[in-house]
Amino acid sequence: METSFAITGKGYVIVAADTTSARSIVKMKIDEDKIKTLSPHLLMAYSGEPGDTVQFAEYVERNIRLYQIRNLYPLRPSAAASWIRRALAESLRSRKPYSVNLLLGGYDTASHDPHLYWIDYLGTMTEVPFAAHGYGSYFALSLLDRYHNPEATIEEGLATLKRCIDEVAKRLVVSPGKYKVKIVDQDGIREVEL
Amino acid sequence: MSIMEYNGGSVVAMVGKDCVAIASDLRLGNQALGISSNFQKIFPITDRIYLGLPGLATDVTTLRERFRFRVNMYTIKEEREIEPETFAHLVSSTLYEHRFGPYFVEPVMAGLSKTPSGGVKPFIAATDLIGCLNFAKDFVVAGTASSKLYGVAEGLWEPDLEAEDLFETISQTLLNAVDRDAYSGWGCIVHVITKDKVVTRTLKGRMD
Amino acid sequence: MNSFANRFSTNTTQLHSPEEDNFSDATWGSQAGFGNIAMGVPTFSIPDVADPTSFLQLHTDDHADPNCRIKIQHGTTTLAFRFQGGVIVAVDSRATAGSYVASGTVKKVIEINPYLLGTMAGGAADCQYWETYLGMHCRLHELRNRERISVSAASKYLSNLVYSYKGMGLSMGTMICGWDKTGPAVFYVDSDGTRLKGDLFSVGSGSTFAYGVLDQGYRWDLTDAEAQELGRRSIYAAGHRDAFSGNSCNLYHVKEDGWHFIGNYDISKLHYDGPGDVPGAPEGGYGYDIRVEGLSSANPPEAAASA
Repeated sequence: METSFAITGKGYVIVAADTTSARSIVKMKIDEDKIKTLSPHLLMAYSGEPGDTVQFAEYVERNIRLYQIRNLYPLRPSAAASWIRRALAESLRSRKPYSVNLLLGGYDTASHDPHLYWIDYLGTMTEVPFAAHGYGSYFALSLLDRYHNPEATIEEGLATLKRCIDEVAKRLVVSPGKYKVKIVDQDGIREVEL
Repeated sequence: MSIMEYNGGSVVAMVGKDCVAIASDLRLGNQALGISSNFQKIFPITDRIYLGLPGLATDVTTLRERFRFRVNMYTIKEEREIEPETFAHLVSSTLYEHRFGPYFVEPVMAGLSKTPSGGVKPFIAATDLIGCLNFAKDFVVAGTASSKLYGVAEGLWEPDLEAEDLFETISQTLLNAVDRDAYSGWGCIVHVITKDKVVTRTLKGRMD
Repeated sequence: MNSFANRFSTNTTQLHSPEEDNFSDATWGSQAGFGNIAMGVPTFSIPDVADPTSFLQLHTDDHADPNCRIKIQHGTTTLAFRFQGGVIVAVDSRATAGSYVASGTVKKVIEINPYLLGTMAGGAADCQYWETYLGMHCRLHELRNRERISVSAASKYLSNLVYSYKGMGLSMGTMICGWDKTGPAVFYVDSDGTRLKGDLFSVGSGSTFAYGVLDQGYRWDLTDAEAQELGRRSIYAAGHRDAFSGNSCNLYHVKEDGWHFIGNYDISKLHYDGPGDVPGAPEGGYGYDIRVEGLSSANPPEAAASA
């Protein structure tokens, strides 16, 4: 089952998503990148209905890019989150809704703080210090209640993320194998190996 | 699984003597799983009107944005603030516009309307998800804990409570009702609206 | 002593006494509902249809059909784990009927005898009845064999019992915990007939949340205080996140001399203030918001911060 996590720390957001692409009982691909870079300081992890996910992510990606081209500056995380939520909420009552769950992590270069938004396919949105989608959330959220530290360094943050991944690997029947991990902070976006 | 119980949450509003109060819990859930303990369901419409929107969380946000837009348009066109009675009808007609594909929320509003003599008159109302208005003289409830809220409110509410007593009554009503509801809780927020100010307090509720 | 044991044991001649034939349904339930122990395995009135098993399944299996008539309670969090100092058993105390919190003071640990504990998840009545019944048979075992029953044997007895009712709507997920000749022991037994020996189990709707905290803090060489704290903390985690678990945590510790009740902790109090003055507990509340109060993820540059 698809699982994604995101946690905030001192001046950064770490976003992690599993890399398996499954169809029926078969793993079709094991190195799929399910985290999109929307702007220099904005990351979006997506999961859900195959087909919808990439279509929606690319739609969002291009619109956020368009805004930046037109206005010469990118949307701040909260504004981008509101726009994306709206897109999902409007899609929900359309003929063919997108079934996509999102974790949106961004660094606001104006106020110097990280933001993380939990958004589901209905268009439910809330800002949280840590978040998860998929069955992994049932194990990770209690773990993060216990171990998450909003002032953790990146190393400490990655160690906490490792705990989540290990816990899901230990307990979830259909646990994913590998994860892609990306960090967004004041210097922009980079990928890290766990 | 009921769509109205998908995210959980409850709102109650009560009438006092020259004041009104509106309160809600702060939980956002995904069925049994709690996601956030800081999800606002009550929004200020004007300085004297507050709107509570329990129900499906995506529609809570969408409707909040929609009402903000419509109230702003009203204010610009009429060059005055909207009155609670008018706003109630705006809510009702907005919801009825979606009669055959409704927004899954049961709005509750509380406000003070101006009287010709220059005083204020408490106003509360609630609607169902397609906009059937219910103007009550005592209290209105909505959300997953509504049946429990009715029970407690029937027992605790009395007419002509002063602002401080009304705060106590609505707080106890909400706190005790949500403790008997699995889908509501995770903290509460209360707004008491009086002639010259609005007092907002967050309550320490049970967190389980 | 043997004659006393025989009077209550299942395989005596009494089993076929003529009294049994006129033992009507109306008298069933005397001697606290266990009156029929004298006649062997208890008998229950079963639906008078051709295939009672599938009939009952049709009306009790609310996984397949949420609208079925006979509703069985599901929300719960229970856990038990074995460690160097014995067994920790911790449970919540909430009972729900739909979204209604029917009770916040349910005892979900069943004290089978001074050395055995059973936990309760699923049907409350099923767990209570069969674990009490198990307790009686554990006592008979003691009288017959002049030694206490092993946790393994006790759990096997329960497992075989519920297995004989498989498909008829029994619903229980339980951990049988105790201390016997082999030391501390935990067995998971459920109404499917599964019986597992293990070090660490959690059962119920909130079990995943409990596992999240439990797995991360678990070691065999935990001290008694650390182990009790871990049990309490894990039930709190589940009570907090799961809508169908909560209210309070009951904590037990099984040692060589039998089980000890450690305490009852209000989960909301654990959230805001912590467990109070108990060994192994940290200062302050368990709650995330309480723990991180005053901390901020904002990272203003040095110049901006000082300005």
